[in-house]
Amino acid sequence: MSDLEAWRAKAAAWCESMVPTFGKAARKGLSVEDDLALGRRYQKAKFDAGFAGINWPTDLGGQGLGHIEKISFEAEEMKHGFPNVYFGISLGMPVPVLMQFGPDRDFVKERVLKALQGEEIWCQLFSEPSGGTDLAGLRTRAETDGNGWKINGQKVWTSWAQYSDYGVIVVRTDPTVAKHKGLTYFWVDMKAPGVTVRPIKLAGGDSHVNEVFFDDVKISDDHRMSPVGGGFAVALATLMIERYVATDSAGFGPHLDLFVDLAKEVRLNGRPAIEDGRIRQQIARNYAMRAGLDSINVRARRMMEAGMTPGPEGSLNKLVAVRSRQKLSELALDLQGAGGFAFDEHASPKDDWASSWINAPTGRIAGGSDETLLNTIAERILGLPQDHRPDKGIPFNQIPA
Amino acid sequence: MSILYDEGQQAIATESRRALEARVSKDELLPLLQTQGAYHQPFWATAKEQGWTALALPEAYGGLALGLIELGLIAHQAGRTLSGAPFLTSSFGAAKAIELYGSDEQKARWLLGLASGETIGAIAFAAGPDPLPAEPMVTLAGDRLTGVAGAVSGGLFADVAVVLASGPSLVLVDLTGVDRTAIDSFDNSRCIADLSFADTPADTLATGDAARAAALHILALQAVVTAHEQTGGAEALMEIARDYAVTRKAFGQPIGAFQSIKHRIAELYGLVELARANCIHAASREDQADFITAATAARLSATEAYDTAARDCVQIHGGIGVTWEIGLHLHMRRARSLALEQGSSFFWEDVLVDRLAGDEA
Repeated sequence: MSDLEAWRAKAAAWCESMVPTFGKAARKGLSVEDDLALGRRYQKAKFDAGFAGINWPTDLGGQGLGHIEKISFEAEEMKHGFPNVYFGISLGMPVPVLMQFGPDRDFVKERVLKALQGEEIWCQLFSEPSGGTDLAGLRTRAETDGNGWKINGQKVWTSWAQYSDYGVIVVRTDPTVAKHKGLTYFWVDMKAPGVTVRPIKLAGGDSHVNEVFFDDVKISDDHRMSPVGGGFAVALATLMIERYVATDSAGFGPHLDLFVDLAKEVRLNGRPAIEDGRIRQQIARNYAMRAGLDSINVRARRMMEAGMTPGPEGSLNKLVAVRSRQKLSELALDLQGAGGFAFDEHASPKDDWASSWINAPTGRIAGGSDETLLNTIAERILGLPQDHRPDKGIPFNQIPA
Repeated sequence: MSILYDEGQQAIATESRRALEARVSKDELLPLLQTQGAYHQPFWATAKEQGWTALALPEAYGGLALGLIELGLIAHQAGRTLSGAPFLTSSFGAAKAIELYGSDEQKARWLLGLASGETIGAIAFAAGPDPLPAEPMVTLAGDRLTGVAGAVSGGLFADVAVVLASGPSLVLVDLTGVDRTAIDSFDNSRCIADLSFADTPADTLATGDAARAAALHILALQAVVTAHEQTGGAEALMEIARDYAVTRKAFGQPIGAFQSIKHRIAELYGLVELARANCIHAASREDQADFITAATAARLSATEAYDTAARDCVQIHGGIGVTWEIGLHLHMRRARSLALEQGSSFFWEDVLVDRLAGDEA
């Protein structure tokens, strides 16, 4: 057994042992608040067992291992439906960026340790009503205020802001220069006066994203994590940190074998749906697509093991998998006919077709829409030209609204 | 588990690409479309010289004892350059059938020639639209074969064929003296012919369920080689489309700056990479229990990639794309001929779903 196989076996055994306390059955029927409390205990257990901050430095409470160990653990962890969703963003982007760019190292260490143990949660305040994809077009502004800064404006789609203790934020500090040159990156205390969080109820019924309003929120200059005007580079660095995450060729929806089981159960025209050519074609096409992603991901893992950088084809995962999950979920409802109406708002998108279907659009939009991903593939991988951008090089305050 | 190509395998890819790009040109391929009974001689000469015909065959019979991974890499390059003969796949299928199911005597008689490329092999399993018929139309009585094996790729020049005959039986047939009728097709260099057997002597390789399983295995081996070829063709088209989109201008900018164009090409990238990943995986599973499933995924995604790339690449070119001269129709034609050889997507979808549903015979 290689070191990595041993690591994965250890991860699998630990995850298995956590199922009675933190698994799907233990979470069933809990309110969000109770589930979050359970999640905090799970995160602490993970930390104590040496599975938190796997690829983070040991002096900050991490394990000092590689991306590959982290991904291996995540692949095991995601089999069980543990309450870890509240910490995904926090430990995925804001806290790593704090580790990298936080100016006060003692403060950084204290925050990182609390976040790793589930005591504190961080959010990422990037998107705004005026634009998500067009990040550099943001309007929330920070003006100098004595020795510090004063923030006014609004962020939106901020995951878990209602439970967050801190956030990282990009704001405009100079509207007289080109849009991406006038931004600065800070961290903020989400409990500070002037910060208002308002949850947004999403189509599927849950409210994990929020609007966040800033009204004269005062922060000192030691909150600054980039040079003044240098915030865009740190924002990009934030988005690059999470390249090495576990992927799922089912698009974080139900796996294909559940669809095959359904097709064997229900009848179409008096015979099992699995005998119907239309259904068979969909199964076969989905299998071929998902097998392709699986193979891409295995190869990416092998490249990491060999010390190489995985190829750009990994960028296909989210685009291809979530889109197909959406269609397959529609088809699963079709298959059930009138039986497909039943809806449980608290069901998991990973094993419930209606839940998977209603939440699929979020997956195709959040973290880069399909269209944005296609642009990225076209421009970065294939060398095709950028879209026409009328705001290019123009001072922000002169861009026609 | 999938694999990463090692240095030797990468060298095979580079060298075969160099050899083919130097020897194959669209100007020589275009006239073949309007010629019956001819293939692109320089391609086949290159394949023999470079030892590609011997690549996946056993050393004892003049082979190089490499496998599907290496042959797949060659096929990928052959797909990129639209190489003008089907024999790399058809001879490989026939040779594998002889290697896996033949007697020592049969191996001694045929494999050396197939490995050197002097002998050309073909596979004749299909009956009409069915690539693996339960009731083959060619009948075997004693050791004599009678009936017509329709539309055999490479059949016009094959010296030996592996035929699925009544029984079912998988048989080996020396094609010397067998009547062949060339089929005028949209891709004539595939050398497709009806083979007419009349009391033709045949050696049995397998019978009953074993014959059917053997035929499916051979078909799957060929399908993986073909899938690499399709992926190569799709990759070439994606690059041709990209190159055109960055140079051709309309409304004052390269057409590749329009999302209707750039997204179409990005989607092709996705199809090509999924097909490539499935091909690599399938080639690495040759002797494993899940080989047929892996082969099927490769086959389905590669067919989709090549057909879509052919469609979209022509569309992105606009008017110039439909001219004879530019030759994109060579890829359109090849995409379709490769989609039909080794069984259409309908066939492979059924093979796959039978396995996923646990119903395979």
